[in-house]
Amino acid sequence: MELREMNHASTYIIQSQEEEIKRIALELHEGISQNLYSVSTGLEFIQSGIEHPDLQAYTKELSEIVNRTIKEVRLLSVELYPSTLMTLGLSSALKSYIKLFTSTFGVKINVESSGEEQKISESKGLAVFRSCQEALINIAKYADTSEANLSFKWEENLLEIVIDDIGIGFNVQEAIDNNLFKGIAAMKQRMTTAGGNCYLSSSIGKGTKVTIVLPTEIGGM
Amino acid sequence: MLSRKVCLVMEFEQSSKAEELTDLLLLECDQLKENMPCDFSGIALQKYGEMDVVWPYVSGNRNEKYKYITVRYGKGIAGKVISSGSSMTIASFPNDIIGKSTEYPIMLAEKIISAYACPLIWKGVPKGALLIGFRDPHTFNQDNYQKVKQTAEKVESLLASYYFGN
Repeated sequence: MELREMNHASTYIIQSQEEEIKRIALELHEGISQNLYSVSTGLEFIQSGIEHPDLQAYTKELSEIVNRTIKEVRLLSVELYPSTLMTLGLSSALKSYIKLFTSTFGVKINVESSGEEQKISESKGLAVFRSCQEALINIAKYADTSEANLSFKWEENLLEIVIDDIGIGFNVQEAIDNNLFKGIAAMKQRMTTAGGNCYLSSSIGKGTKVTIVLPTEIGGM
Repeated sequence: MLSRKVCLVMEFEQSSKAEELTDLLLLECDQLKENMPCDFSGIALQKYGEMDVVWPYVSGNRNEKYKYITVRYGKGIAGKVISSGSSMTIASFPNDIIGKSTEYPIMLAEKIISAYACPLIWKGVPKGALLIGFRDPHTFNQDNYQKVKQTAEKVESLLASYYFGN
């Protein structure tokens, strides 16, 4: 297979996966969640009409389980697909994810932003979002640091995001040789498909820096 | 209506009790870590009136990440122990775990390789987990389980103060 064909195939696979993830997330949020709300309301109604204390307690317990499930489904849906990406934009979606990231992994992320946010397509925004997500998760897994920085630089027709940490760092060549670079390769592929690019530099003891660049007007998917 | 002075006295008494409880629970964590001996010990508890789980008391920590970590009910080692009400052992993290390694934030944050956690019961319901962790592969034995169980019983006797104090 030629390189161009391979790139087309990768783009198709990434897009298909994202479409499927979005479909499942929306189905969870708009289908299953709504049905569970109906069950919850029904249980509360039944509870108010029951006089037997044991049955009332049991209905209350069931109602609590349903409410917990609604919360779980909502969180799962957000984890799968950041619906705020299209409604509030990339910056808001990433900031919202960073909040969740800090409360999950205990790693504080300092966010800086310059320039005015520009409108970008859903597919491009999602590529950037997923790449940032991958970079942040790598920090939680491997960097051994409690703090990192993420900066947005919005220029005319260009977005640059830099994610850097002062963690333990790693030998890039060694990671490539040992086939430990799959996550980074996927980020690069996503960004190339979106018409942008992704660069990584790291050195042992000094930390890691990931730069994501995306032309915001033309090109890419 | 209570006077401002009475309110302040009550507030002071409450904060003193909270500090005392923190000291007691931290002491249990320290003693467990020393007696085992292991690299890390910690108490995870569900927030009052909520399902989310936090790590308010730890010993042997490498950093302060535990202060910010909140795990969902059913997620991570603490969440799984609470939701199932059963003990859980991880022999060699991240190998052979249920789910993804990112679902175990305390293991990642503290670089724990082997861990054992048992449930902490309050009013007949699992409300927390007591965990011991090793930063090198460790095979758990009966003595390890027994020591954790003994400490868990002491911690459980203090849970009423934790939940009523909050």
